[in-house]
Amino acid sequence: MKRPATLPLPYAAGIGLRAPHYREVLGTLPGLNWVEVHSENFFGGGAPLHTLLKVREHYPVSLHGVGMGLASSTLPDEDHLSALAHLCATVQPAAVSEHLCWNATQGMVINDLLPFPYTREALMYVANRVDRVQERLGRPLLVENLSSYLSFPHSEMSEGEFLAELSERTGCGILFDVENLYVNVRNLGVDADAFISAIPAAAVKEYHLAGYSSCDGCLVDTHDHPVYPEVWQLYEAVLRQIGPRPTLIEWDSDIPALSVLMGEATKAQQRLDALEACHAE
Amino acid sequence: MLSDDLAGFARTIVHGESPAFRVDEGYAKYSAQVAVEVYRNNYRGNLHDALAGAYPVVKQLVGDDFFRFMARKFITQYVSRDANLHRYGAELAEWIAAFEPAKQLAYLPDVARLEWACHCAYFAHDGVVLNLNELEKVAPADYGNLVLHRHPSCHVLHSDYPIVALWQAHQPGASEDFRIDLDSGPVDALVSRNNDVVAVTELTPADAAWLLKIQAGTTLGEATAETLDHHPDFDLLRALQMLVAQNVFAGFTLGATS
Repeated sequence: MKRPATLPLPYAAGIGLRAPHYREVLGTLPGLNWVEVHSENFFGGGAPLHTLLKVREHYPVSLHGVGMGLASSTLPDEDHLSALAHLCATVQPAAVSEHLCWNATQGMVINDLLPFPYTREALMYVANRVDRVQERLGRPLLVENLSSYLSFPHSEMSEGEFLAELSERTGCGILFDVENLYVNVRNLGVDADAFISAIPAAAVKEYHLAGYSSCDGCLVDTHDHPVYPEVWQLYEAVLRQIGPRPTLIEWDSDIPALSVLMGEATKAQQRLDALEACHAE
Repeated sequence: MLSDDLAGFARTIVHGESPAFRVDEGYAKYSAQVAVEVYRNNYRGNLHDALAGAYPVVKQLVGDDFFRFMARKFITQYVSRDANLHRYGAELAEWIAAFEPAKQLAYLPDVARLEWACHCAYFAHDGVVLNLNELEKVAPADYGNLVLHRHPSCHVLHSDYPIVALWQAHQPGASEDFRIDLDSGPVDALVSRNNDVVAVTELTPADAAWLLKIQAGTTLGEATAETLDHHPDFDLLRALQMLVAQNVFAGFTLGATS
């Protein structure tokens, strides 16, 4: 099977590719800079994997995991890690990412992205887990900041400080989800400027943008809306401070037409281009 | 301890216990209770969607509302054990069989079993494809010792109900005008994956009996002889051609000659 050499993600806007658009993307090969998919959807073989390999012939692909549970208090799930390693070896993705969250404890798995207290103890756990994943994959992992609906009184540092130290200890990159930060600002009163200042710009390898919804006053990271103006504003501030990076439009529920996603990507691209132009002057 | 915090958080989400873990109580626009409900809804919603994705025919047969009711009950009894959501729900058929409100739909557990086999077939590893050129090189004297390997996507199921017809009538694009006689007698269903498409076909009792023996690792000679004992009409060549075309085999070895 044709397998192009691994390309890095371009410093351009891409889209999250989900099942409703596979056929259209492979049939029309639209001008997408790059795509990101959820790793777990391609564990195993058959139609999902073969579709992804066809996509991979035309676009740089990023694998975004939702199941590794980097902060879980259980032993690493070696089956899950093997499945991811196998997928990486087959697809040769441009990037591999996971979330700064947990999903398993004492025989229970909660298939969600759950927050945890940012303590020194947790840092040790997560750093060990990231080391293990990177060792198994033979490449650096990008770790994404989380959108949270709860916070913990015994956290010893902010999420930004936690990520900075994690990156320094393990060499992992940071996937900066701008919408997650915005949700945390509104929900938990996180200081956006402090977060941006805390994380090392050189470690940031990718941005995410998405829409949220609201539930009884709590903003929920549902990925079912266009990017809101406030999030675009925050993205612009992040671009000014950290610089341009590959940027992804995520949409996972009530998925609209491909043209709508591409329109959102164009908006992100315009902001990346504007920054470029500004630097050129 | 991190593990205590996470265990308390998990019990709050999964078992509906009131939060007994250290957490900030009040936020600018909502209470901790609201946030806990968001996490509980996510938990249940993700598992419901996983079940709905794996069991689309069961869902059509019972309707969305009943399926939601059933899924909710199942979710309270079956905790997820895998970070890969596609692995959730293997026990649904068994559970439905004991689920009083669905008792009247006697065929439902077997339809669920068939759907789980299809779900597993869809995500199964690719496996080796049977190389017919290699097979041709086997000396005729060794045919009896051939051990054919099952492709990881192949499953054989037996049911007292017409589950193949039920499944086919509820596929996308199937005609809504169908008549199925629930008393039409037992069937053997073959689930296989060919060119990435999962297919469900009905096997003759003889073919099913033979394939089950082959799946158990019995040599071609033994499986065929045993099948012919019970099904004198068994046609090995026809069965082989049909099953190879369905991509049921993943390769072969020559069994130990006795």
